[in-house]
Amino acid sequence: MSSPLLSVANITKTFPGGVVALDEVSMDFHPGEFTVILGENGAGKSTLVKIMYGIYTPDKGSIILKGREVEIKSSLDAIKKGIVMVSQIPQLIDRLTVVENISLSLTRIGMFETMTRVRRFFKEVGEKIGIKVNPDAKVWSLTYTQKQLIEITRAILLDAMVLILDEALTYLPLEERRKFYVYLNEFKEKGRSVILITHKIPEALEIADKIYVLRRGKLVGALDKASANVDKIRDLMFGETAKTITYERFTKPYETPVGDIVLNIKNLVVEGDYGEIAVNNVSLSVRAGEIIGIAGVVGNGQRELLEAIVGLRRVREGRVIIDNHDVTNKGVKLTRESGVGFIPDQPLRYAVSADNNIVENVAALFSRKNLVVNWKSMRELSEKLINEYCIYPPRPEIHVKLLSGGNIMKTVVSRELEYASKALIAYNPTRGLDEATSTFVRGKIKEKAVNSKLAVLFASEDLDEVLQLSDSLYVMNRGVLYGPFDPVSTPRSKIEELMVV
Amino acid sequence: MRIVLVRRKKPLKYGGLVVALLSLLSGIFVFTIFAWLIGVNPYPVVETIVTTFIFPGVVKDFIILTLLGYALLIAFKGALWNIGAEGQMHMAFLASIYITLIVFFTTEKSLPFYISIGVILLSIVAAVAAGALWGGLAGVIKAYAGVDEVPVTLILNYIAYFIGDILVYGPFRGTYVYGYARTDLIPDPYKLSIPVQRQLSGNALIDTVTGYIVEFATYAVWIVALILVLIFTYWLLNKSNIGLRIKILGSNPDYLVSLGYDVRKTTVLTFMLSGAIAGLTAALYYHGSLYRIEYPLEYNTASYGYLAILVAWLSMLDVYLVPLSAYIVSAVILGSQRVSSLPSVREAFIRLQLGGAEMAFKLLMFGSILLAYSILRFIQDYELKVVS
Repeated sequence: MSSPLLSVANITKTFPGGVVALDEVSMDFHPGEFTVILGENGAGKSTLVKIMYGIYTPDKGSIILKGREVEIKSSLDAIKKGIVMVSQIPQLIDRLTVVENISLSLTRIGMFETMTRVRRFFKEVGEKIGIKVNPDAKVWSLTYTQKQLIEITRAILLDAMVLILDEALTYLPLEERRKFYVYLNEFKEKGRSVILITHKIPEALEIADKIYVLRRGKLVGALDKASANVDKIRDLMFGETAKTITYERFTKPYETPVGDIVLNIKNLVVEGDYGEIAVNNVSLSVRAGEIIGIAGVVGNGQRELLEAIVGLRRVREGRVIIDNHDVTNKGVKLTRESGVGFIPDQPLRYAVSADNNIVENVAALFSRKNLVVNWKSMRELSEKLINEYCIYPPRPEIHVKLLSGGNIMKTVVSRELEYASKALIAYNPTRGLDEATSTFVRGKIKEKAVNSKLAVLFASEDLDEVLQLSDSLYVMNRGVLYGPFDPVSTPRSKIEELMVV
Repeated sequence: MRIVLVRRKKPLKYGGLVVALLSLLSGIFVFTIFAWLIGVNPYPVVETIVTTFIFPGVVKDFIILTLLGYALLIAFKGALWNIGAEGQMHMAFLASIYITLIVFFTTEKSLPFYISIGVILLSIVAAVAAGALWGGLAGVIKAYAGVDEVPVTLILNYIAYFIGDILVYGPFRGTYVYGYARTDLIPDPYKLSIPVQRQLSGNALIDTVTGYIVEFATYAVWIVALILVLIFTYWLLNKSNIGLRIKILGSNPDYLVSLGYDVRKTTVLTFMLSGAIAGLTAALYYHGSLYRIEYPLEYNTASYGYLAILVAWLSMLDVYLVPLSAYIVSAVILGSQRVSSLPSVREAFIRLQLGGAEMAFKLLMFGSILLAYSILRFIQDYELKVVS
């Protein structure tokens, strides 16, 4: 076996507040190999690659590149050494064109290329990955998938020896992902190395040559392609809780929704961020105790639809009626006060205040009407949510910015579900959560919907989630809503087709 | 092996206190070095500054700056950089003057107790309202027109100065002012300071102690107000829903939006609270020490409104550290003024052909302190580490 291209040895990293993110982790990445790092939320995956990419400095341990110990001072330094990372959220500038964005990163490392040459580079690489984007299009007009592919193209143009994909492919549609795997295989054949971070086991099994599993900051397993299977990995990732993971539909007594219409949407037309029609004449209704799921690829108007229902976005035409009250364009305050929980897109940006602690974040929602906040009961409520959802570290007074992405998501989901008394509007309710937690959260949503007669409307990019949770489902594509469909009797292929055509 | 900068896992214990004190010391050190460079014997310079820290004259500035420090603390917690305490104070002065010198003007040497108290309270209420409105105006411009609050509050300061100038030249000009552009003195029954007399004993220590007692007794009403404002600020920021909203506004306004709070209203409210405390301070200052305002208006406050920015920063937005940083700033102002009037300093400036520029000398000390502060503030959060 060849010597590793890149290794990390005995990496330890502790965060402010004493959270141990990584504990003596060592891994080898060989040339021509596709390595996947798996782990549940807060396992330390992102921290590890951020150390390799020069964003964090480890407390202890070393990074060895081509047999020599190196220090990676910054991301720029990492790029110079041939290590390039693509993260889950595209880091492009919306107002610039594709080529401008790409040239920006290239110039930064000292290649003063003319736009024409950049455009040629982009076309060459783009053709290989199968990305069909006009290089002069403004970034805002592109879909998530296209943006993410541009990010990846950029990484390739930077001539990466080690390409790190931090959940970069997780939310791409399967078709695009497959196309890209072909390219990645070619890429690694040239003696390069690919590292993929994910919490989705099927994604890992699709392509990995080697799988490392992290759990609570420790390396708990290293598997090769032949020995890996879902059950084995789940055991390593979750231990005991692995048994709880399921994609089975929730069955009786959860089957028949009864109750009046809580959420009634009539002929809604909503504009997107740039004045384009994002939601085109959408009508649907949700009854108390019923769960409606909207399947669809990112960027087809789901976000705009949900925001408009909650009151965050102006409705151009149509009505939103919650509990027999017309709330169209009357603001978030009214919908919130009528008992609507809301999990927005990009929860880290819109659903938490990072400089405040968990109790304060909870109080901001629950104590909205009290002049004096009852901190004692808020603290108790926070503790209850922390225990129920296993938020780690279990300290109500910890600043939210010190939690991992998954744990922040758990604080958001638990808070909103607890708050919702009439309806829950959610966008990707389990985004960024690992399988065990996702299963748990979906169970919670179902339980609350049935027990508290909650009307739930959610959109998700994960079709499995929509199929498991919905009593009835719709497909959203380019602003148009198709459906309703019965999740049991409708063939999956039909839904998938509607999503992409 | 290499040296790296990493964020501390735990903030330094007593970090805030240590940073404030160390910045002070290094500021004085740099200042002294400079004095030495221009040929002044450093010993009396250091002595003057150090003794100012136990100098009763500091008390007045200390109280005013603490009050204003709290006014700004509230705005700064919401990431609203209110540098308009000056303007808010001046609008409050005008309100108080309208009540005491126009509506309830009297030439009597004494009035029934309840009338005095009533007028003073009315004047304070008017000043608080005026401060809150002037602050709120900045908030409205920020929230509804989207203009950055820093230039807005700064410009509003000058508008307030000029409104005051016009009034002092016109309707507010006093009857007993010998042609000066200024208002009458506040009638005696409306004065808030308590006149205390003492005999100097000649013993420096005893005189200092009695000096402090006299100062605190003179400004007893201010002290009461200061304690009330401290309690209010603590309650607001740590117990109330409004304080929570202000803190979230300072951290992530997007979260406020998705919770259904009105970010604009919160912005205006924060500015109004900040302005209200500045207005209260102005009323106390006017009733207790200033007694009249005169043209040009900006000289009436000794830049308290701007110094308060320093106070708020130096306290690192910690409710408990505001009084400490206010004391430091007051001592430094007074100390640097005293240093500037040392004969050796005057001589040195004349030698440098900069006679008359001594007062600008004190800015150097502020600069040194701020510089040291920014460095130390960084060290509080980050540490140098050797990684092998």
